[in-house]
Amino acid sequence: MIADAAEELLEMPFSAHDLRYHLEETFPVLYAYLYQRAQRYLGPLKYDAFEVDQVVEHVIEYLTRFGVMGGGDSAPETALDRLTNAQFYAFLNRSIQNKAIDRLRKKRPPMYTLTERESSGALEDEIDPLNEASESFWGAAPFATPEEAAVEAASQDEFRSLLKHCIKALSGAPRQFQAVIQELAELGADELIEDMRAEFPEVFPADLQLAHLSQHKDHAHKKLRHCLQKSSTNLAVMIALRITEYGEHLTGGDELSVHISTLAQEDLSEDDVRMGLKHLVTEGLLNWHGEQIVRCSSAQEKRLARFYEGE
Amino acid sequence: MKDRNKFEGTPNPQEKYYPLAQWLQQVLAVPPLQSQLEPALTSDETQNGGVYHRRFYRQLPDFIMALLKNDPEAMLHYAPLVFHLIGCPTCHSAYLVFYDAMRVALQEGEAPRQTTSTLHTLATTPARMIVHLCQSLISEAEAVLRQAHREHMDGDGLARSLLQQAIQISAHLTQGHMRQRALRELVRVATLFEDFSSTQEQPPALHSYSPLQMAGNGTRRGGVVRGADTALHPAEQTAIPIHSAQLEGVITQHEDTLELHLQDLDANLRGHYITISVLLGSLLEPVRWLGGNPRAIHSVVPVDEHGTLTTPLGQTDLRLSNPEERNFLEAMFLKLDVRLAD
Repeated sequence: MIADAAEELLEMPFSAHDLRYHLEETFPVLYAYLYQRAQRYLGPLKYDAFEVDQVVEHVIEYLTRFGVMGGGDSAPETALDRLTNAQFYAFLNRSIQNKAIDRLRKKRPPMYTLTERESSGALEDEIDPLNEASESFWGAAPFATPEEAAVEAASQDEFRSLLKHCIKALSGAPRQFQAVIQELAELGADELIEDMRAEFPEVFPADLQLAHLSQHKDHAHKKLRHCLQKSSTNLAVMIALRITEYGEHLTGGDELSVHISTLAQEDLSEDDVRMGLKHLVTEGLLNWHGEQIVRCSSAQEKRLARFYEGE
Repeated sequence: MKDRNKFEGTPNPQEKYYPLAQWLQQVLAVPPLQSQLEPALTSDETQNGGVYHRRFYRQLPDFIMALLKNDPEAMLHYAPLVFHLIGCPTCHSAYLVFYDAMRVALQEGEAPRQTTSTLHTLATTPARMIVHLCQSLISEAEAVLRQAHREHMDGDGLARSLLQQAIQISAHLTQGHMRQRALRELVRVATLFEDFSSTQEQPPALHSYSPLQMAGNGTRRGGVVRGADTALHPAEQTAIPIHSAQLEGVITQHEDTLELHLQDLDANLRGHYITISVLLGSLLEPVRWLGGNPRAIHSVVPVDEHGTLTTPLGQTDLRLSNPEERNFLEAMFLKLDVRLAD
């Protein structure tokens, strides 16, 4: 390719680590790289300074948001920091390409015509970002739409369990709880309601006459939104699962015992574990007062299993 | 136009969950006025008017990596994020883009290519791009502070570091109006949550000074006209002219000591000592402030009968004669308040 012919392979001029810890020195090299890639993928728009800037600035902005740009030790590392240099370059390259395609699509009518593509040399260069994109752009990502994510959440036991616990948490405000149950009944989500009735019979009050249903519904939705998106809810389910999975029975007794560090494994911090444990305590499923060793009786073990299974 | 709430396709075992899924989408949809209604989960408006849910956005790389590695606990571990993606189209779009880029990164990798081996420095980088970088850093610092404030976490260290880097990098901009653009939001962000702290209570400033900058048309206060991109006069290179409405002043350096010179101060200040507050003085550390507190520097002499004052501010190893160090110091004096001393 003509564009590639002018390029030469070099030593890695920068890494994600350099950007995180030496931004001032590394930024010019990053910019030069992004600029050159943006021009390549913008095809007929490559001499449009505004478009090139749009593409480059987009990548700079989200690298900043991910803590890669100047994050130092203060911004927690993400998977981006753990990519190899070659992977990081591929990530940047693809990100530039995606944004360039986005700009080209926006500009396509009326200016990005076939004639212009030919005259601009896009075909000659054998680089047609839009054609390349049609095969693999966004690939087969799980949850390709919010609808798919919603169906996944509604159909997976763990997610339904979280949902049930968040609905149960509404029972402190019986009218809001009842409004949601009524809403679910109207949807035909009888299975979920029956599960809840079996699991938490105590929170189902005698029939309430509901006035101002929409107001109760709005408040209930707000609380549900908050509950489903906060970390302690899913952490509690994870920890309940891990206590029963990794806990060991002490010799000669039914008591189950597990160290906090065992519950953390490699993907949770001990603070995360404590947050989940506190949630389980507030649910009345565990007696724990901050000890490093978590203990539970066989009765509690059964209740914990029901908690994460959601049955 | 496709109705996003309709679930189309051939029947499958998941079909029975469609009504519940639709309801979930309805419940989780990010409300338009969320920032006012739900402080615990608020988004931050970005400069281009989009929304930025920092807490969830920052989880995207790890979540995507877990998905790509088929981690069996990925879904449960990131359940709050998945619930968020259901209701937030902006974050969902970002998720798709990053998923694609991460997938390619893991599959392919790429050797770096560079058109030339030219030495790239900030001096060879377009000023507009340096401005954008500084604005991004400041914008991120604001998001960090807002998230920390909402979630009762400590974000000061990261926010300070981002703001310091913005100042440091902006010092390489030779044009004053570009530095001004780069740091336009600096004072506001650096003092974002000070109103919430009772310890910061101070009477209103009598005068609030900021560096004298070129106006957009190339004019400056005092009637001197020159091109907007013109370099500073030699006298300005070793001083930082400041102004407050019609009042002017200047910060100069005598050996290590930075000195403040004010003139035409009000009659009611004459004969009185004043207190000077350098709002960004604690953000940067290269100045040893007189009295130790940049928010309360007491003048060593009273304002004289002509309304002028010359008083030291502190000592530094930086030199106003060095252009980058001068620009660095100029950023520190973006807001200098004057009050009557007790």
